[in-house]
Amino acid sequence: MTAWWGISRVWLRYFDVYRKSIFYSVVTTFIEPVLYLIAFGFGLGGMIKQVHVHGMDISYRRFVFAGIVGQTILFQSFFEAAYGSFIRMYYQRVFQAIATTPITLSEVLWAELMWDASKATFAALAVLIIGSVMGDFNPWGALMMVPVCFLCALIFASLGLLVAARSRTIEDISYPQYLLIFPMFLFCSVFFPLENLPHFMQSVAWVLPLTSVVSLVRTLTLGFPLDLRVFVVLGVWLVVLVPLSRRTMSKRMIK
Amino acid sequence: MTSPLTVQDLTKRYQSPGREPLLAVKGISFEIQKGECFGLLGPNGAGKSTSMNCITGFYPATTGSVKILGIDVYSQPREARLHLGVCTQEDTLDTDFTVFDQLVRHGTYFRIPTREGRKRADTLLKRFGLNEKRDAMVEHLSGGMRRRLQVARAMLTEPKVLVLDEPTTGLDPEARRVLWDVIMEARADGIAILLSTHYMEEAQRLCDRIAVIHQGKILDCAPPAELISRHIGHTEVDEEIREGVHWKRPPNLEDVYLKLTGTQLKGNA
Repeated sequence: MTAWWGISRVWLRYFDVYRKSIFYSVVTTFIEPVLYLIAFGFGLGGMIKQVHVHGMDISYRRFVFAGIVGQTILFQSFFEAAYGSFIRMYYQRVFQAIATTPITLSEVLWAELMWDASKATFAALAVLIIGSVMGDFNPWGALMMVPVCFLCALIFASLGLLVAARSRTIEDISYPQYLLIFPMFLFCSVFFPLENLPHFMQSVAWVLPLTSVVSLVRTLTLGFPLDLRVFVVLGVWLVVLVPLSRRTMSKRMIK
Repeated sequence: MTSPLTVQDLTKRYQSPGREPLLAVKGISFEIQKGECFGLLGPNGAGKSTSMNCITGFYPATTGSVKILGIDVYSQPREARLHLGVCTQEDTLDTDFTVFDQLVRHGTYFRIPTREGRKRADTLLKRFGLNEKRDAMVEHLSGGMRRRLQVARAMLTEPKVLVLDEPTTGLDPEARRVLWDVIMEARADGIAILLSTHYMEEAQRLCDRIAVIHQGKILDCAPPAELISRHIGHTEVDEEIREGVHWKRPPNLEDVYLKLTGTQLKGNA
């Protein structure tokens, strides 16, 4: 049994830390996506101009902006969850401190995931607003993206929590970072259409959650056709990772 | 009347894949009354911290029960822990907040309104001699101050039961004395205190009753003076502290402890 009250208390703790060091928070949350937007949207976009995807001709800037929404969700939620929760569990022992109050560890871990996903949603929201203001995104689609962002971020947050729970030292987090997160970032259609890859790589990319996230972003913000596979892929990852990450972290902490 | 803390037949078995299960706590039972300081005295690895972690409900017990004011800590952790203040052996202070802010924040986990929390934090910081550091971040506190803050945090919620797991380990004599005073005051206020320590002097000074714990079992449990007279008697102990140098002194808890755990003092018949 888990109570919303406890989760909200802990979520507020995270939010207050974020708010308290607002300059640091803004820099670490918003600068990165904006840099990507400029480098790829304008830099590379100025060179490539048009791409042809799903029978549509579309400016590369619009194409890559939508991809960066997905990339932002991935990076913000994964890194906050992986490094952040490792620090809170191992160095600060915030989890342990709160889990001996009337708030249980189960609630603390829900709050952790929700916070990581919230932070990623804030960052993605910035990209969505910029894209909408520039006329690159359908603003209604961008609005619908907000709850979708949160759910997608929950997948990567639980992946991060799982990684933190399985890491002996903070350095161990580098393995999944280089072997899973960066390949996802590069090969899950953020920067180029998936069809440009060899067939077997396309199949692998479709199993990874970021491909589905980016596909869904493009459906909502650019009007790309909806690929129903995204619901299966994202659904499975969500249903598997959230309980698995929570259980793994609980088992690590509670002997 | 229900006791503030009742521990009954508590056992804890650690199970890790590929290893023999380890029975760290082998059935301990005790009750702590209002205004009583109860000591768990034992060496490192005796099962003190495991017991403490089970008593706060952080670890599930393998068998047995723990009740805080009659409320089962495993089936109703939220309700039971409302009355519990915990100072774990590890430093769990929240390094993201100042001394004052983290006290108030800790109160919110117990549904204590911010206004009330601020009032209590004010009082506690003065009482614990930490008022000058109220706006400092935790990293700027000395080890002794951090421990004091952790005990202050445990007391902010006005608990009926206070669990202190080796609160003075690693502190210098002065910092230790400050904490002792605080613990004595809490006891005088009617809080039931469970204190674990491996310092004999500390146990002898603070505790109304002491349970000597060794290899997961309570070997004996009584007031310190009674433990001494029961196991050692009243005769002076002749301890050879260096070769040829004898020290005649009254028997103390250490003699009891060493006798009970089966290690004899050198030169002591």
